[in-house]
Amino acid sequence: MNKTVNINLAGIFFHIDEDAYLKLQRYLSAIKRSFTDSQGRDEIIADIEARIAELFSEKIRDERQVIGNKEVDEVIAVMGQPEDYRLDEEIFEDEPRASYQRPKSAKQLFRDTTNSYVGGVSSGLSHYLGIDSTWIRLAWILFTIFSSGAFILIYIAFWIFVPEAKSTSDFLAMKGEAVNISNIEKKIKEGFDDVADTVKNVDYQKYSNKVKSSSTTFFEALGDVLLFLLKIFVKFIGVILIITAGITLISLFIGLFTVGTFGFMDTPWTEYIEVGNHPDVPLWIVSLLAFFAVGIPFFFLFILGLKILINNLKSIGTPAKLGLLGVWIISIIGLSVIGIRQATLEAYDADVITEEKTLPITAKDTLTIKMQGNDRYVRQLRHRDDYRIKRDEEGNRVIVVRDIEIYMKSTKRDSVVSLAIKKKAEGRSYDEASERAEDIKYFYELEGKTLLLDGFAITDYANKFRDQEVNITLTLPEGITIYADDNTSGFNNSWTYDDYITIDRKEEEYLKLVDGKFVCESCPEKENDWEYDEDEDEVKININSEDQNFNLKIDEDGVELNNEPVKVKIDEDGIEIKTEN
Amino acid sequence: MKIENTKAQMRKGVLEYCILSILKDDDAYVAEILGTLKDAKMLVVEGTIYPLLTRLKNAGLLNYRWEESTSGPPRKYYGLTETGKLFLKELNTTWDELQHAVNLVTKQKKK
Repeated sequence: MNKTVNINLAGIFFHIDEDAYLKLQRYLSAIKRSFTDSQGRDEIIADIEARIAELFSEKIRDERQVIGNKEVDEVIAVMGQPEDYRLDEEIFEDEPRASYQRPKSAKQLFRDTTNSYVGGVSSGLSHYLGIDSTWIRLAWILFTIFSSGAFILIYIAFWIFVPEAKSTSDFLAMKGEAVNISNIEKKIKEGFDDVADTVKNVDYQKYSNKVKSSSTTFFEALGDVLLFLLKIFVKFIGVILIITAGITLISLFIGLFTVGTFGFMDTPWTEYIEVGNHPDVPLWIVSLLAFFAVGIPFFFLFILGLKILINNLKSIGTPAKLGLLGVWIISIIGLSVIGIRQATLEAYDADVITEEKTLPITAKDTLTIKMQGNDRYVRQLRHRDDYRIKRDEEGNRVIVVRDIEIYMKSTKRDSVVSLAIKKKAEGRSYDEASERAEDIKYFYELEGKTLLLDGFAITDYANKFRDQEVNITLTLPEGITIYADDNTSGFNNSWTYDDYITIDRKEEEYLKLVDGKFVCESCPEKENDWEYDEDEDEVKININSEDQNFNLKIDEDGVELNNEPVKVKIDEDGIEIKTEN
Repeated sequence: MKIENTKAQMRKGVLEYCILSILKDDDAYVAEILGTLKDAKMLVVEGTIYPLLTRLKNAGLLNYRWEESTSGPPRKYYGLTETGKLFLKELNTTWDELQHAVNLVTKQKKK
C-alpha cells in the first residue's frame, strides 16, 4: 500500500506514488540547482517538466494508472542524471556556474517512533544531529540527574512539540543531510526563488523573453546574501531565547521543588516560612502561582525560540495557548490577592488581659522573681522576638515565642502583690487578633514567696506567628522587697514611665520599694567608683560620690582626707571621721 | 579521465551545430529534435538539450511558438531566426574546415 500524490506537471494531471513523487521532486530540484538564474533556469525547468509530462503520458494507458518508482526511474534514465545537465555547462558555460549539490532534502526534526524507548525524541534527535541515539539517551539521563529532574520537562516539551514521523516523506525528511551553513544557504536560496517564481509566473511568456542584465543578477546575489545574514541573525536570536528561557524554566522548576512546597515534602524550614510573616495561604500555592506567573511568559519565549530554530515545529494549539494565558492571568490575580491580604495581615493589634489576680504576698515579704524554661520548648532563657516550632507532648506542632516582658508598678493602695497577664497578637481584624491573642498559652507558678514565670509562651501551629507576646505586670505594694533572679535580665522592662518602675538591671539584689522607687538594700556603696592605689606602706582611696570628691589616704602618718589629716574612729556606734582641727 | 566523459564532450561540442542544422528547413518541437539526435547517436540522455535550447534561444538564434498537442502538454516548436541562419551558415563553413583539419591530422597520424 502506498500513498499517492496528485501533481500538475506542465499543466497535465498525474497520480503519483508518494515515494516516486519525492524521487521526482529531488531530481527536479537537483537539476534546478545545477543551473543559475541567469541561464534561464525557470524556462529550462519548465521545458524539462513538459518533456517529463510527455514521457509520463506515453507510459499511461489508463487514466487511473498511478505513476510509480519504475516510471520515474525510466524517465530519469531517458533524461539523464543531473550530472549530464551539468557537463553541458562545463563546455558552453561562459558565466559562473552554480555549485552543484547532490539531491537531498534538508533535515527536519521528527520523533522516530519506530526506534524509540519513550517518545522517540532521542532517536529523532540522533537523525537530526547525526549522533548515535545511544549517546543522546545517555545525555538525557545525565542531564536529568544533574538538573534534579528538570530536564524531564524539556523532554516532555520535545515530545509535545516535535511531530512524529508518520509518512514516507517525514522519514525521508528526518534522515536528510546534516544541517550546515551551505544547506541553510540553499534553503534561503530556494525560499527566495519560490518568491521570485510566484512573481515571475504572473507573466511567464514575458519573463521567458526577458533579457537578464548583469545588474539584476548582482542584486539577486546581494539579496541572497542579505537574506542569509538575516536568517543567521534570526536563528541566533532563537538560540539565545531558548537558552535564556530554558535556564529560567529549569531554575524555576528546581526552585519550586527545593522550596519543597508541594505539601508532601516537609522540609524543616518549610513550616518556619509557613508560620512566619506570610499569608495564611499554603506556601505551595504561593510558590505554584509564582512559578506560573514567571514561568509561562518564559515558556512562550522558549517556544518562540524553538519555532525560530525548527521550521516544522508543531504548534501547541490555540486551546493550549489560551489555557496557559488563563493560568497566567489567574496566577497574577492570585498573587495580587495574596499580596493585598499580606498587606492587611497585621493591620490590627489586640491586647487581651486574660488573668488578673492577687498573690498572697504582702508588703513585708520578699518576693523572688525567677524565670523558668522547659526542656521541650526552650533551653536557654532569653528574651527573643522570633519564634520556634516544636512538638508538644502529643506530638502536635506548636509555635514557641519568647517575647515575654515583665513590668512592675508600685501602688500605695494595695497591700498585696497583684499580677496581670496581658497577651498580644496581630491580625487582619481586631477579632482575629484578639482570638489569636487568647490562644496564647502562658503559665506561671508561685512557690512560697517565689514567683516562677515561664520564659516562653506557646500557641497552636495553626495560629501562625503574628507577633504574639506576653506582658506580665506586677503591681507591688509600697515597702515590699523584691529579688529578681539573674535569668530575668532581658525579660525585665527597663523603662520608667507612667507608674511603671524598673529594677534598672539590679538583678540578684534585694530591692525595697520606697516611694515608688527601688532602693537597693544589698548593694555595696554601689553608686561610688572605687579606686585603690596601694603602695607598700600606704593606702590611697579616691572616692567619687555624688558631686563631691574625696581623697582618703592611709599611711604611717595617719589618715588624711583631701590632704587634711583626719581622725577615724570605728566602734560600736559606727564610724566617726573628724578633722583634726 | 573517463572515456565516457570525453565522448560525451566531443558530441556535445557539435551539438549546437547539429540542433541548428535540424531546424534548417522546418520547425520542430523538442521530441522531434531529440528523435533525430538519438537516432544519430548524438545524444545518450535527453537532459543535455534543454539548457542548450534555452541558450540558443536567449542568444537570439532560435525562436519558438506554442502548439497544442493531442497527447500531453502543449509543445514548443523551435525555428531558426535570421541570426540563427547566418550563424548556421558560418558554422557550416567552420565544420567543413574542422572536418578537413581533423581528417588531415588523423590520417597523417595513421601513416
